[in-house]
Amino acid sequence: MQRRKFIKETTFAGGALLASSILPINNLYAYNLDKDFKEITILHTNDMHSRVEPFPQDGSKNAGLGGISARATLINNIRAEVEQVLLLDAGDIFQETPYFNLFKGEPEIKAMNLMGYDAATLGEHDFDAGIENLALQISKANFPFVICNYDFINTPMEGKTKPYTLIKKGNIKIGILGVGIEFKNLRTEELFGNTKYKNPIEQANITADKLKKENCDLIICLSHLGDKYNDDQLSDEILAKENFDIDLIIGGHTHRFFKEPRIYINRNKNNTIVNQVGWAGIQLGRLDYSISRTKKKTLTKKQTVVIKKKKEE
Amino acid sequence: MPKLTAIFFCVALSLFSYKVKSQNIKVSYRHYSVSNENKTDATLDSMLKPYAENMYKVMNTVIGFSTKGLFKKLPESTLGNFFADCIKNVAEQQYEQKIDIGFINYGSIRKNIFKGDITIGNIYEVLPYDNFIVIQNIDGIMLKNILNHIAEIGGVPISGITMQIKNKQATNILINNLPFNENDNYTIATYDFIANGGNGFEMLKNIPIKNKSYLFREAVIDYIKQLSKQGRTIDWKIENRITFSN
Repeated sequence: MQRRKFIKETTFAGGALLASSILPINNLYAYNLDKDFKEITILHTNDMHSRVEPFPQDGSKNAGLGGISARATLINNIRAEVEQVLLLDAGDIFQETPYFNLFKGEPEIKAMNLMGYDAATLGEHDFDAGIENLALQISKANFPFVICNYDFINTPMEGKTKPYTLIKKGNIKIGILGVGIEFKNLRTEELFGNTKYKNPIEQANITADKLKKENCDLIICLSHLGDKYNDDQLSDEILAKENFDIDLIIGGHTHRFFKEPRIYINRNKNNTIVNQVGWAGIQLGRLDYSISRTKKKTLTKKQTVVIKKKKEE
Repeated sequence: MPKLTAIFFCVALSLFSYKVKSQNIKVSYRHYSVSNENKTDATLDSMLKPYAENMYKVMNTVIGFSTKGLFKKLPESTLGNFFADCIKNVAEQQYEQKIDIGFINYGSIRKNIFKGDITIGNIYEVLPYDNFIVIQNIDGIMLKNILNHIAEIGGVPISGITMQIKNKQATNILINNLPFNENDNYTIATYDFIANGGNGFEMLKNIPIKNKSYLFREAVIDYIKQLSKQGRTIDWKIENRITFSN
């Protein structure tokens, strides 16, 4: 991965470098009148771990960081500035503070409702107070939980999640699926009841294919697999290379603070982007997507992704 | 008519070309730092307020008193002995059977308990991780493997046993004051984390586990309350459970 090149606005594509991908901004405005020009701002979190309050002011590294109140302010400011916002989370909402031990996840879910989350997936720690509790808590959510590789048949979670959700914001149609990690060697299995884990890469490909047939402009996978490992454990990196139709993977589990999103070539020779923003709500990730279709006709669908750092105001 | 055909043709063409047009995606990213320098949000604050008040009330609840304080250290310490006795006693009460040995991993204890009042919040600070109490039945050979691993890592908080560490091996082993016998079977109480092979206890991985989903932290809080009710202070002794031999 030539990350340095990629920061310098290098275009990645299935080999082709399209001139139109580096159009100056004013030319992009011309597309604005076109129904083929679509925009969406994606905000995301992962591994919030019941950090509803900021870290205490005790002189430690994270002192004063995080907290649902400060995050809500930030989100509201962005909503005031851009029209179409999607707010997503990649799992491990629960566990690690006494709030979870005492209230079993209720304030965390209420906070996400108030912030207007559009979808989330599950991490292994979300089962920490048992599968019955998880089923109870997510029934209080006013947004869907998506996960396509956990089979919840004959568990209290049956019917509480969906493999994917379809969201329409303005003229853009977004398909969001979710994948979860193999929990067997991570947590006590009793917590998961009769939940059956299936291969996330296979299930993600089956699910993303359905979303492609639904004519989604953007296919996003919320993943709790972890960004990458030294061994062959399934990860976002493997999913990014082995999928066909996923545009973006919002990751979690490994608590990694990405300096910038990572970009991979998938099996359709298109780009799949992976991003992750640490843990505990210390950061909020933002990705502004502008999608335009060129007038140029090609025999196969080609996709070109240009990625750059957003200027800080 | 030709006009209509032309329009029709255009529509057909555009439908066709829609499928084959290439897509340009521009992405700009930014990772915001969320901090208390951001303004707070009144809606979220008022949602959290009753939970926070309740939480701090619970955390400040005094459950016991220590005259000398309890401190963590290897190979043996007052805090370690207290916790190991707690896991053994609580498992005996809960599973209604004799437990021979109780042990936990040293790394799970994050702070000391200082002399004076002990609050629930103190116990959360000392034991921040959620570990369940589990029991396992093992044979003497397995126990020897476990004790040798304990010797190798310089000891763990342990109850029901005395042993010496010699050349990173366990020797002079007494189980409940009786000499260790390789042909006996034993019941141990520990964390689910350890029973699943954590902290180098890989040998335990394939031994069946009994788990009643009782958190060790909860057990400690209940145990302190129980002792306080009996009029006892939370003070524990060093008993030479694990020592180094030359």
